[in-house]
Amino acid sequence: MSTITGRRNAVTAPASAKKPKPGQGGSSIDRQRRKLLVPFVGPAFIFYTVLFIIPAIGAGWISLHVWAGSGPMKFVGLQNYVKVFKDDLFLKSFGNTLLLLFVVGAAIFILAFAMTLVLRDMAGKKIVRNVIFFPHLINALVFGVLAGFIFNPGGMVNTLLKPFGVTEPPAWLAQENIFPLIMATLVATTTGYFTTILMAGVDRIPPYFYEDCALAGATAFQRLRYVILPLTWDVFGTCAVLWTISSIKIFEIIWVFGGSSGAGIPPTQSWTTAVYTYVTAFSGQSTPAYGAATASAIISLALVSVLVVLLRRAMRRDAVEF
Amino acid sequence: MSTLTAPKKTEEHKPAKPRARNHHGVSPALRADHNALRSVGVFLLWAVVAISIAMLLWMVLQAFRDTRSILSDPWGMPNTFDFSNFVRAWTVSDFATATFNSVITTGVSSFLTVAVAAPAAYYLSRVESRLTGGLSLYFILGLGIPAQVILIPLFIMLNEVNLTDSLIGLNLVYIAMSMPFTVFLLTAFFRSLPMEMEEAAALDGASALRTFVQITLPLAKGGILTAFVLQVVAHWNETLLALTLIQSTEKYTLPVALISFVQQQTYSGADWGGLFAGLCIVVLPMLIIYVWLGRRLTEGLTLGMGK
Repeated sequence: MSTITGRRNAVTAPASAKKPKPGQGGSSIDRQRRKLLVPFVGPAFIFYTVLFIIPAIGAGWISLHVWAGSGPMKFVGLQNYVKVFKDDLFLKSFGNTLLLLFVVGAAIFILAFAMTLVLRDMAGKKIVRNVIFFPHLINALVFGVLAGFIFNPGGMVNTLLKPFGVTEPPAWLAQENIFPLIMATLVATTTGYFTTILMAGVDRIPPYFYEDCALAGATAFQRLRYVILPLTWDVFGTCAVLWTISSIKIFEIIWVFGGSSGAGIPPTQSWTTAVYTYVTAFSGQSTPAYGAATASAIISLALVSVLVVLLRRAMRRDAVEF
Repeated sequence: MSTLTAPKKTEEHKPAKPRARNHHGVSPALRADHNALRSVGVFLLWAVVAISIAMLLWMVLQAFRDTRSILSDPWGMPNTFDFSNFVRAWTVSDFATATFNSVITTGVSSFLTVAVAAPAAYYLSRVESRLTGGLSLYFILGLGIPAQVILIPLFIMLNEVNLTDSLIGLNLVYIAMSMPFTVFLLTAFFRSLPMEMEEAAALDGASALRTFVQITLPLAKGGILTAFVLQVVAHWNETLLALTLIQSTEKYTLPVALISFVQQQTYSGADWGGLFAGLCIVVLPMLIIYVWLGRRLTEGLTLGMGK
């Protein structure tokens, strides 16, 4: 595609509103276009910089201070990070975030891939795909509230289990059981989205590859190993990056899961770093500790960055052209 | 963009010899192998589909029953279509204001997001230089920054200019937050549009601005609509920032109202009927959009992300 426009001299700093010298390459429409830099990119740039990048940098700065939101900021260097890593609550939250990231992530991927393989040539695949995608459009709050109803003592699961002789079902919503239940709910509600993405990748594989496989007498496993996997590898990479980024943000479902107990804060056993950040800064339970709260957020950001870089490294293969 | 060239040759390259058609219309070599494992998989998939639809239906139906009967028999069906839960949620629990706020916020911020992002994406897709390369990278960077990182600084900054507890502030934040994804998606989309029309317009003497407004935008309607709808979904469901930045009840958006409704129940006793009505108000607009524009959504989310 880009070949039409690609042949153009590299210009180091083209025309930030300044007149580009004529004959700097490109046609007259190119030159005209270059003049549009400020009016076209300006607004987006300003919005994004002022309300996104500057706050992100600000977060780094705040995390180096002890600050209650008002009054003086006291510079303490990296002490917030040290303190946060000695805080049992944070360690629990961080552990939970890692569980979501890796355990839930692995479960989603295995299920999504299995579903993709079954869906690939099944009758009615469009209907199935459309239905399993829908949960992605629903606020996770809804699943949290529904799960609270389904698993409450007189709720659906227990009435279902009763005929099977389960008279003393586990206390599903007990504090120590909530997090595994959240993980299960997330697997159930997120798998469909990733299946849809993987499907888009698998559907791109031209059928003559499968025909080749059949002619060469490849088994289903060989077909998977030598055709489907290599040709969808980049889609897998994208999915892994997507899950890494979105799993770090998980907040809503935990906030209301099972109709939160007591003062509107979920039990500490189910916190993630996002919840930790929010509660430490805004709960109103104790003096807000903005420094520790942002430190926790910055740690999650660091985790995302490292993982994304590693993933890109690990998933980098020669792109298979087809 | 290899998708564009992905060959569709199979049909033509079939051996010329006519072959007995099988019931699927695919060559026998390609027919799915029918083993037990696969059948189990197919069965499970349909079960998932059935359960998903049943859950959604069940949720909507429960909203028509009163709390006591929901609790005594969670599997029951409503006897009559009694709208009192909706009326109560709408009037007493302030879901009306929240819905109104959500509709306004979602509509305005999604529209402005696209209006701001489209020209930027156009520029980034059409002008190739080291600067635009850097800018594209700068925008993409934001995709990886989770919302909780900017939460506290944003709260402080907006507080300075009296934009906390204000829907205007929330709108501005949503626009900024959506820049990375929207610019990214639209850049990819503009790249896929053919250049010939623009070149023709330029030859006819149209200015670059006019070319963009009169030629490219109409051509790009589909992609822009996709970006808009994706933002509608994202902003309708956004919770963490709304929860942080909005404090007074009359400015709550729907997710925040729903959270406060859930939390009130710990004090005022469970009102599952009202809660189900609230859930319906959150979910049903998404269902309508999905039924209406579903293909755009899945394509935007899968292709836009894939490349």
